[in-house]
Amino acid sequence: MSRNQKPSLDPVILITLGLVLVTIAVVMIVFQSDSNSVNIANDSGTMSQLIVAFVTGLTTGGLSCLAVQGGLLASSLAHQIEQDYLEKAPHAERKKQRGKKTQVQPRSSSALPILLFLVAKIVAYTLLGALLGLLGSYLTLSPMTRAVLMILIGIFMLGNALRMFNIHPIFRYFSIEPPKFITRYVRRTAKGTDTFTPLFLGALTVFIPCGVTQAMMAAALGTSSMAMGAALMFAFTLGTSPVFFIVAYLTTELGARLEKFFMRFVAVVVLILGLVTVNSGLNILGSPLSFQNLTRNLLPSNSGPATVAQVPQASAAEGEVVLYVQNEGYFPRTLSAPAGKDFTLNLVTDQTYSCSRDFVIPALDYYELLPDTGTVQVNIPAQEKGSTLFFTCSMGMYTGQIVFE
Amino acid sequence: MIKKTFRVPDMSCTNCAMNLESLEDTLDGVKEINASYHKLQMTVEYDEIRLTDEQIIAAVKKKGYQAVPV
Repeated sequence: MSRNQKPSLDPVILITLGLVLVTIAVVMIVFQSDSNSVNIANDSGTMSQLIVAFVTGLTTGGLSCLAVQGGLLASSLAHQIEQDYLEKAPHAERKKQRGKKTQVQPRSSSALPILLFLVAKIVAYTLLGALLGLLGSYLTLSPMTRAVLMILIGIFMLGNALRMFNIHPIFRYFSIEPPKFITRYVRRTAKGTDTFTPLFLGALTVFIPCGVTQAMMAAALGTSSMAMGAALMFAFTLGTSPVFFIVAYLTTELGARLEKFFMRFVAVVVLILGLVTVNSGLNILGSPLSFQNLTRNLLPSNSGPATVAQVPQASAAEGEVVLYVQNEGYFPRTLSAPAGKDFTLNLVTDQTYSCSRDFVIPALDYYELLPDTGTVQVNIPAQEKGSTLFFTCSMGMYTGQIVFE
Repeated sequence: MIKKTFRVPDMSCTNCAMNLESLEDTLDGVKEINASYHKLQMTVEYDEIRLTDEQIIAAVKKKGYQAVPV
């Protein structure tokens, strides 16, 4: 390697990736510690929600956001690269005249604005998350409202996925067009070449969120907590950053050649996420049409961990039924109860911290946040023979049913 | 000043509309451009003495899209 040749990996990229990894490590440590100052750290369900948000950002958010917001960044970058080229070109020309081979490399110039853009974006979305969480705390969403919201979000995501697949023109309306005055303002700001422009633009992306981000914003609203809303949006936006950075960087280098491939990939993932979200909403509504409720009888029933099997079950004939609420879900997932008479459902938790604690029986309009350890009794009124009562966690992730015989 | 509508079938997201609207700042003689991804079209208000349809179509093509007068 000659002395003039640049290393294949840009130092700015290495530093950026290092910073991203350190940030992730710090976030993980902060949320895993037993600090009481931030309540959200103690709940493993909440932790898993944050990890899901991070992974969603990492897998789909980055690409989806890039599709919507990438143009802004690219226009800013293009100008930066152009400036960079003009600054270096005469220098290169002189070297060429001296008989040396020199390539103009705008790499370091494109990496820094992307980094600044992403930092501003993370800060802006974290603040937005806090605001949404605060707003949600005043709205207090009931499980049913949350179910409807989730189904609407799911439909929105499905519509967006079908739009990306170009199935029918009608699906274009699932893409929200920002008001003209905002796009004009953002566009005109994008022309600046100073360091603050990418920072400012990154912050402005809150006005043009992509479909996945909009879904995450709704989730932040649903947390009903300022800290949790901020943490959720921070985790998500942080997750979007590496992909956003790498793809934005490569896009400036490779052009739009890979864009089609990435859009297809995003469309597939958004489609899957949309289906999962609609399904969760159906679970919270207690609909027999959800995937779990449709397939429960087709698949062999999971009796749960060995510890549950060893505990003696209360007799249904005696008017009591026990349901073990564990971190992994409800055990057994199908309970049998006598038809035509009231009985007591004992919900037993033992160091349960996942969202299974948020217990919902939609048909009875019953919702209770169970203690992490203890027993809560629920009086179930008499039900007809052959009927089924579905129960679920408030996220629609864990489900089960009571069959009346 | 006249207003003309062009069909732009290649738009694939709202960003394309923003991209087309940016011609407002570079194309001499244009007063306003309103592009819609939903309708796959753009409406250009321009000075017909300083600018022609062909010039608009060429500028749109340079952005990577095809514009067809409606």
